[in-house]
Amino acid sequence: MFRSSSPTRQPVMRRSATLRTSVGFVAVALLCLAIADIQITTVAPWRELGRLLTGMVTPDFSNPAAIGTALMRTVAFAFVGVALGASAGFLLALIFHLRVVRTFCAFVRAIHELFWALIFLQFFGLHPLTGVLAIALPYAGVFAKVYSEILDEADPLPMQVLPAGTGLISGFLFARVPDAWPHLVSYTAYRLECGLRSSAVLGFVGMPTLGFALQSSFAQGYYSEVGALLLVFFVLIATLRLWVRPWLVPLYVAVSPLLLGTGLPIMWGNVTRFFTEDIVPAPLRHGEGWAALWQWFSDLLLNEALPGLWTTVVLTQIALVGTGIIALLAFPLISRHFTSRSGRVLGHIALVVARSTPEYLLAYVLLQLWGPSMLPAIVALALHNGGIIGHLIGRRSNEMTLRPDAAHGLDRYAYEMVPRLYGPFLAFLFYRWEIIMRETAILGILGIATLGFYVDSAIQELRFDRALVLIVITALLNIGVDSLARTLRRRLRLRHMVNCEP
Amino acid sequence: MFKRTLRKLMLALILVAPAAAAEPLVFTAIPDQDETKLRERFQKVADYLAEELDTEVRFVPVKSYAAAVTAFRNNQVQLAWFGGLSGVQARQLVPGSEALAQGVEDAQFRTYFIAHESTGLEPSDQLPEAMEGMTFTFGSKGSTSGRLMPEYYIRQQFDAAPEDVFSRVGFSGNHSRTIDLVESGTYQTGALNFAVWESEVAAGNVDTDAVKVIWETPTYADYQWTIRGDVDERFGEGFKERVREALVDMNDPALLASFPREGFIPASNDDYQGIRETARALDLID
Amino acid sequence: MTALALEQISAAYGERRVLGPLTLHIARGEKVALVGHSGVGKSTLLSLLFDKQRRDLALLPQDLGLVQTLSVFHNVYMGRLAAHSTLYNLANLIHPLPKEARRVRQVLETLDMADKLWAPAGELSGGQRQRTAIARVLYQPASVLLADEPVSALDGPRAASVMQALTQRFETSVIALHDVELALRHSTRIVGIRDGGIALDRPSERLSADDLRFLYDVAAPAA
Repeated sequence: MFRSSSPTRQPVMRRSATLRTSVGFVAVALLCLAIADIQITTVAPWRELGRLLTGMVTPDFSNPAAIGTALMRTVAFAFVGVALGASAGFLLALIFHLRVVRTFCAFVRAIHELFWALIFLQFFGLHPLTGVLAIALPYAGVFAKVYSEILDEADPLPMQVLPAGTGLISGFLFARVPDAWPHLVSYTAYRLECGLRSSAVLGFVGMPTLGFALQSSFAQGYYSEVGALLLVFFVLIATLRLWVRPWLVPLYVAVSPLLLGTGLPIMWGNVTRFFTEDIVPAPLRHGEGWAALWQWFSDLLLNEALPGLWTTVVLTQIALVGTGIIALLAFPLISRHFTSRSGRVLGHIALVVARSTPEYLLAYVLLQLWGPSMLPAIVALALHNGGIIGHLIGRRSNEMTLRPDAAHGLDRYAYEMVPRLYGPFLAFLFYRWEIIMRETAILGILGIATLGFYVDSAIQELRFDRALVLIVITALLNIGVDSLARTLRRRLRLRHMVNCEP
Repeated sequence: MFKRTLRKLMLALILVAPAAAAEPLVFTAIPDQDETKLRERFQKVADYLAEELDTEVRFVPVKSYAAAVTAFRNNQVQLAWFGGLSGVQARQLVPGSEALAQGVEDAQFRTYFIAHESTGLEPSDQLPEAMEGMTFTFGSKGSTSGRLMPEYYIRQQFDAAPEDVFSRVGFSGNHSRTIDLVESGTYQTGALNFAVWESEVAAGNVDTDAVKVIWETPTYADYQWTIRGDVDERFGEGFKERVREALVDMNDPALLASFPREGFIPASNDDYQGIRETARALDLID
Repeated sequence: MTALALEQISAAYGERRVLGPLTLHIARGEKVALVGHSGVGKSTLLSLLFDKQRRDLALLPQDLGLVQTLSVFHNVYMGRLAAHSTLYNLANLIHPLPKEARRVRQVLETLDMADKLWAPAGELSGGQRQRTAIARVLYQPASVLLADEPVSALDGPRAASVMQALTQRFETSVIALHDVELALRHSTRIVGIRDGGIALDRPSERLSADDLRFLYDVAAPAA
């Protein structure tokens, strides 16, 4: 009886809702594309690419000490940052039901690592703490959310059958953690990979990681050095499973803090100054009163926040659909239903390269090749995120068995695989929506007029009051998109998948 | 109490404390050019100053103009090689800090506007009207010769903001990069520090068939060494003057050529009043 | 004339041999029922037959192979993917052509499923899902059928009519069944599997249910 109520009405509606949503997103993206600036402006866009590729195949390892140091720092920052983030996140996960904790976590994770780094740079300066906290803080917010979801999903039965009077902590440790443990470990391992990427990118704002060397070599056109650094980084990510063994992790975490380097000493007075002076809006600081403050704020909103917001949204929507297209095109490369074993090895390499090249770096490269427009950012975001989602759904397709006489080629793709993978695919895509938006904002630092551009300008002008307002607006935008994505996922009943978070 | 515990906690995190021997003088420079060149140049300066001042001197490279100013403001560096604008910003943020010395050329600094050959623009005695609607790149957002002064003259000439004059406005990051981008045609036009242009051309790094200078600005004061006001307390009475002397006395041709400057002359905060007013007019400082 | 043949073939899971070596020839026009207790290797034998020859053959595996997110129409249409150009298939995926919808509806009508034409397969009951898969093989242009427990989720009268339809539609068929009565009624030849080999191979008309009982007798002495 209870089954017959649904099949008549819902199923058709739900399916078409999924399709309608997809079509809606594509339509919005096309509209955005019509108004977006995607011109290739360079006269010889392929010459630079040729030089870059030449550099990639003639990597210059002549300075192993410098590459080694940068690599070591990258790993050290990632381990310390992720370890701190995971510990703090775990503690926060225990009290995640508190609204204030949830809000706090949503806020810290809505701000990109690079923005955090730019903030900490203002008062910790070029000290390792800047880089460590820039990773640890947003990661703590993410860990808290995901850990609490994992713990909530653990089998509740063991907890219920515990003898009365069992202590809270022992109950938790015996009845909850063991069931959730494998998921906690696998998610943490996944975040470590993200941490390595974040750590590398922090070099772009002055931390002594791979990004620092990469940016220098790139800006000077030393493509063979760029090639060497990139290859080292790809190998680092691709071999993660080989050198990060469970029994080695405590060792890494213990040693990493010693390998961060010293940087410059912290002056604690700067911290106070930052909070009591720098970020106080200029009109208030100069005692010009509330009317002046309102003027200041509305100028900022009209001249910077709104244009930045608009560009960020336009770019995000195009990049989101681009990501989807790339993912759907790329997953057969690693799917056993389409590609031979040796072909899959190449596919895996291609996807590792696409997803472990930080989008910031990719956009930087493409910007040099094609000139300043939204195009480099779109392609960079789509390649990077499409590589990630392509990898995830490709893996999922390998878990599926088709009937032995299933069709081949494009028929198999269109009838057997895509319909089965579409639900997970959309779920992954909606998860990445907020991340793509966060990254879009950050790409502004490279000169595309998203919110990050205005944040960077404010910081370059040493106006941290303005920078902070813009960063908060960026964070609110990210939080808004995240909750929109959640609503869509719920409405389309896309199954929850913890392991594909950021 | 809480603050102290917190501080201890932070310090425990940091773990490796730098050797607490005699404090070194730390200095930085705005990253206005290729980093390898900067490192090479300023390592030589560090060695020179260490010998002259008989104290440990350390150079720290940074990734942006703002980072240089921030490090100076945060007292993580005590001395810096700033541009006109960054120096004004820094001295405004650190009361008591002083412009010590500038290059001989810096009193008479200029900006070059350059253009790709495909634009057909020719050298002229004012900013060509034909530039309107083309693409244009500044250097760093915080640069004097690559941002402040060119923007000032663009506004003067066209009576409009650069975004409205050009079809596209970019920030290349530094002067070397501006040359690259205009030379490759990524941007049709650009503006940069004349000294970087001259030295890159002399070194044969520029394809002068592809890119050429189309206009140069009137002169203004630019780069200078700026020092914090509290160095005498920290490094001993008269330290500031000793640094100034050491800079002005610098006469190693190789060292000077790496800047490139003929030599250094004393400077004062007042020399940069013009820059300060221009920056205020463009709303780049409060 | 032989439609399917296996010569001295065996199958193993790792070290453990589960089937064979055995030889089996199936002539065109034969309707074979594979019987034996569960886990004896009927499915394995079917997949050996399938691996041997894939052309002109319709397969109905035990787990059906439906795409849950596609409609019943699409799942049935998939039986003819190979008969059309990819472009035509893509068009039908995005917007089913009335012509194809009519044909699929006809097949579904024989199975009493026409009202579910546009329902997603994931929303169907077990029996409906099985009928969808049956419709797919009925729609498939092939003359040989390999089916693994095709009517396990259907009730008595419907199971009989579906078996009737399947054996009528395909010139040659090999169908694994655990229901002895059904097997006897809808086959011309019974192949009984036991202890990894063919324990019985005779025309159905000369067999009764009692003759097959020994195949299900777990306690029987080893051969």
